[in-house]
Amino acid sequence: MKDADVSRQIQQMIRFIRQEAEEKANEISVAAEEEFNIEKLQLLEAEKRKIRQEYERKAKQIDVRRKIEYSTQLNAARIKVLQAQDDAVGAMKDAAKKGLLRISNDKKVYRKLVKDMIVQGLLRLREPSVLLRCRESDRKLVESLIEEAKKEYSEKANMQAPKIALDDRVYLPPSPKNSAVDSHEPYCTGGIVLASEDGKIVLENTLDARLDVIFRQKLPEVRKRLLG
Amino acid sequence: MDPFKGQGGIQMLLIAEQEAQHIVSNARNLRTQRLKQAKDEVEREAAQYRSHMEDEYQKLISENTGSSGSNVKRLEEETDAKIKNLKKSTSKISSEVVDMLLKYVTNIKT
Repeated sequence: MKDADVSRQIQQMIRFIRQEAEEKANEISVAAEEEFNIEKLQLLEAEKRKIRQEYERKAKQIDVRRKIEYSTQLNAARIKVLQAQDDAVGAMKDAAKKGLLRISNDKKVYRKLVKDMIVQGLLRLREPSVLLRCRESDRKLVESLIEEAKKEYSEKANMQAPKIALDDRVYLPPSPKNSAVDSHEPYCTGGIVLASEDGKIVLENTLDARLDVIFRQKLPEVRKRLLG
Repeated sequence: MDPFKGQGGIQMLLIAEQEAQHIVSNARNLRTQRLKQAKDEVEREAAQYRSHMEDEYQKLISENTGSSGSNVKRLEEETDAKIKNLKKSTSKISSEVVDMLLKYVTNIKT
C-alpha cells in the first residue's frame, strides 16, 4: 500500500470519528431540549398545583373564620335580646311584688285577704286540726280573724271547723326592708301558711307564693304581649 | 517523514478519539445544565405565580373584612332596634300586666 493511500485512509477515519461524535452530541442536544421542556412543564404544573391548593386552603380558612365569627356575633346578639326580654319580664314581676307591699299595707283590704286565704286554705286541706303560721307583724290580725274564718268555713263546707293552732314560736319572714323585693334576704309580703297536724301537708297561701304561681301561669301570655 | 506513517497516524487517531469524547461529554454537560435551568425557570415562574396568588388572597381578605364589618354593624343595628322595641313594648304594657297579676293574686276563691 502506498503512503498516500495510508494517509487518505487515516484522514477518512478521523473524519468518521468526528462525524460520529457530532451526531451523538446533536442527538444528546435534541433530547436535552425535549427533556428540558417536559421537565419544566411538569415541575411548573406540580408547583402551581401546590401553590393553588395552599391558597385555596387559606381562602377556605377565611371563609370558615368569617362564618364562625358571624355565627358567634349572631349568637351573642340573640342572647342579648333574650336577656333583654328576661329583664323586661323580671322588671314587671318586681313591679308586681312592690304592688303586693301596697296591698298588705292597706289594712282594710289586707284584713279581708288574710281571712279569705285562711278560709281557702282550710277548705283545701280539709283537716280536723291545722297549724297556722304567719308574719309576726300579722299575729294580732290573724288571732282576730280565726273565729270568723272558722265560722265561714263551717258555712261553706257544711261541717265542723277544724282546730286551728297559731304558731307562736316560728313566724314567716318579715316584709322586705326598704321595699327591696329583689334582695336575697327571705321575706314575705303577707299571707299565711297552713299545715296538717302531722306536718305532712303544707299549704303555702302567701301573697308571694300566689304571685309566683300566677306569674308562671301567665308568663306565656305576658311574653306574647311583650313580643307582639 | 510522512506524518501519517507509523506511530504518527495512530497518534492522530487517538487525538481524534479524545476530541470526540470531549464533544459528547460537552453535550452531556449542556444537557445537565439545561435540566438545572429548567428547575431555575420553574422556581422563578412559580414565585411569580405565588406572588399573584398572594395578591388575590390579600384582596380577598380586604373584601371579607369589609363585608364582615358591615354584617356585624347591621347585626348590631337590628339587635339595638329589637331591644328598643322591647323597651317601648314593656313600658306600654307593664302597668296593665302588673294590674292583671295583682288581680289574680287577690282573687281568692273560697
